[in-house]
Amino acid sequence: MSGERERVLEVEDLQVRFATDTGEVPAVCDISLHVHTSETLALVGESGSGKSTVALAAMGLLPGNARASGRVTVDGTQVVGAGEAELARLRGRTASMVFQEPATALDPLTRVGAQIAEVIRNHRPLGRAEAAREAIELLRRVGIPEPEQRARAFPFQLSGGQRQRVVIAMAIANSPGLLIADEPTTALDVTVQAEILDLLRGLAADSGTGVLLVTHNMGVVADFADRVAVMLNGEIVETGPVEEVLLRPRHEYTRKLLAAVPRLVFQGEDPAPRQDAPVVELRDVRVRFGRGPRAVRALDGVSLDVRPGETVGLVGESGSGKSTAARVALGLIPPDSGTVSLFGTDLARSRGRRRRALLSGVGVVLQDPVASLDARMSVAECVAEPLRMHRRGMSAAERRARVAEVLELVRLPKELMARGPRELSGGQRQRVSLARALVLEPRLLVADEPTSALDVSVQRTVLEVIAELQRELGFGCLFVSHDLAVVQQFAHRVVVMRAGCVEEQGPTMSTLLRPRSEYTRRLIAAVPVPDPVVQRRRRAGVTV
Amino acid sequence: METLAYLARRTAQALVVILIVTVVVFCLLHALPGGPARGILGPQATAQQIAAFDHDQGLDRPLPVQYVYYLRTLLHGDLGTSYTLNEAVSQLVGQRLPKTLVLTVLSAVVGLLLAVPLGMWQAVRRNKPADYVITTLSFVAYSTPVYFLGLILVLVFTQELNWFPSQAPQGDTPAQVFADPVALVLPVVTGAASMVAVFSRYMRAATLENLSEDYVRTARAGGSRQGAILFRHVFRNSLTPVIAMLGYYVPVLFGGALVVEQLFNYPGMGLLFWSAAQSSDYPVLLGCVLVISVATVVGTLLADVVQRIVDPRVKAGRA
Repeated sequence: MSGERERVLEVEDLQVRFATDTGEVPAVCDISLHVHTSETLALVGESGSGKSTVALAAMGLLPGNARASGRVTVDGTQVVGAGEAELARLRGRTASMVFQEPATALDPLTRVGAQIAEVIRNHRPLGRAEAAREAIELLRRVGIPEPEQRARAFPFQLSGGQRQRVVIAMAIANSPGLLIADEPTTALDVTVQAEILDLLRGLAADSGTGVLLVTHNMGVVADFADRVAVMLNGEIVETGPVEEVLLRPRHEYTRKLLAAVPRLVFQGEDPAPRQDAPVVELRDVRVRFGRGPRAVRALDGVSLDVRPGETVGLVGESGSGKSTAARVALGLIPPDSGTVSLFGTDLARSRGRRRRALLSGVGVVLQDPVASLDARMSVAECVAEPLRMHRRGMSAAERRARVAEVLELVRLPKELMARGPRELSGGQRQRVSLARALVLEPRLLVADEPTSALDVSVQRTVLEVIAELQRELGFGCLFVSHDLAVVQQFAHRVVVMRAGCVEEQGPTMSTLLRPRSEYTRRLIAAVPVPDPVVQRRRRAGVTV
Repeated sequence: METLAYLARRTAQALVVILIVTVVVFCLLHALPGGPARGILGPQATAQQIAAFDHDQGLDRPLPVQYVYYLRTLLHGDLGTSYTLNEAVSQLVGQRLPKTLVLTVLSAVVGLLLAVPLGMWQAVRRNKPADYVITTLSFVAYSTPVYFLGLILVLVFTQELNWFPSQAPQGDTPAQVFADPVALVLPVVTGAASMVAVFSRYMRAATLENLSEDYVRTARAGGSRQGAILFRHVFRNSLTPVIAMLGYYVPVLFGGALVVEQLFNYPGMGLLFWSAAQSSDYPVLLGCVLVISVATVVGTLLADVVQRIVDPRVKAGRA
């Protein structure tokens, strides 16, 4: 690396501690890093590693209970300890930031053009009309169609990807020397992610902006970064050029992290097809939400089935109807037309006790383990609840024994039984959800993005537990996921959904390696692989 | 066009609500023991006199018939005739309503003008001495009964300090009332006190919630200063839930007027209602309740319309 180039961001011995009710918690311990002009440094690590804290510290945006020390210089200005007025002059002009969640990052009541114009006028003495014109130009630059009309839109009238483009337009409005992007594509679909990454890359290359990219996604790192710094527990454990770190990691933790990342593979055999009668079967199911002209066709003639012992991956972008399909299978949404049979019985024709008995054969694991477990119940109570509902005759001792047995199945230590869900880690909580889903020995497990809220290393153990238990217990699994690499590893068959329809379905390997539909092909091409060399070739359009 | 259709739909709903209100009030009032004849003719009246009165007023007919009759006259703008004052109810209400509106609207405006900045200021200075002091005062103001607060104000500002008169302006028209603004101060302050207390709490909570929103961080990251963020973004976003609450606050304001008018001898609808309740003057009571319920329904309707204007998401059905 050329040491001659200017450093737009220089962090030296940065320490950040958070004051909490139980005392001070260190978040970042003595880290040093720098970003040159026209280069991208990726700061990677799992949740709680302190990577976002570093990004916020560089903008002087740390929350009120944070205490920072050390030196953070942005284009020659010391940020740590600077006053609000000085920081306000810096933010949006010298350094800008793009955030993770485009849905909430914009003021819902202000037109997007006005929000961009505000950033312009914060730093340059332009009139309203001039700033508004420039805002439209910026919208054009970030690839928003019909920018004149779109500038007058409110954020809720734009898609997630368009909102993120607006946030990027705000960030580049005053041509900053440093752009900090904190998980800029985590909340977006893969195809949109690819577009946003392309946009950021192009903008950075055009203007020589230095980029600090905070992410947990190794594919994004391979796609975008020049150098990488790996964070663990508030420290940087390894730093170097992207090829070095991703292909020849030196630190034990980096190796572990990379090994846990699910990768798309480009060859493989289909497993033998299952012949048993399906545990769940959707036939030509249609679901509409709302009435009149605003009604949305959530599902439009969807047919799929899951057989005992097999996992069917349900993939597609947000809004494609995959979660709706899972809910129909769970009996939570009655279809407007078409049939749902569970274990060979038509769900629409069974009522009362029969229906309950039928549904007790289905276990469910949802995406957010915090939201889906009752915070006032202990782990043991959470797991025992389905037994109380469906096995009324069971004695308390039998119930306790069954709960202990299931917790052992999902590899949770007995000591955790009395704790509340909030006292567990994310992975532990998700295993409690899994134990709860399995306690009635279901014949079907519906898992809706079960690992999306988890770090990759935790994701891997949870997925392994599910796969192992499936081999042991033989349940069918309907596995909803947006992550094609996970589905490829985990599912026997795959159903690709788009706009409420099944785009194509078939055995996992042949469907994902030789997709018949253009849509599936695009979906796969958009997934960045965590290998910078391969990723560069894929981006250049060479099929692998 | 879309807004017109919305207004038509909401107005139709409002009419149904008002109809239900008239039924409920009608039933409640007729369930009271004694009946109006005894109240008007006094304890000395003979059974014959009472029967004659009941027949005269149509009170001996079945309740549903009385109700339908009542509704029919209502549609002609006729609210009946007062038993005790021998005047058309519509005329009585028509005279008093503007004065009560002056009092309640002034109280509401003064209350909001104080409550909104106070709440925002508290949110910005959260958990600092100023916040604690205002919070304590709010709870005191909210938990003090209106008549007690009014009495204390009268005692301090008219008896001890002699700053303001103890009576509200006595004029018959709003113009005459406004001619004596000094006399309006105490009634309006009394009426506004609980409003300030309640709405500064709402505003404080809404502002705090908005200050922790992501869009505030985005604005700061774009170099906007605290003041600009507060007034350009947080203010409007915090105001929407407060506007929604305003409509539901109309009956509370009228309830307050009942006490304030009594206390400051201000002959508005509150006083009218008060004396009518004491003499079982059914037509007047029904007239007042009807007017107040219409005001409430119109208030919520207005609040919804204002919200549609302030928050475009409401119109799109996204919020």
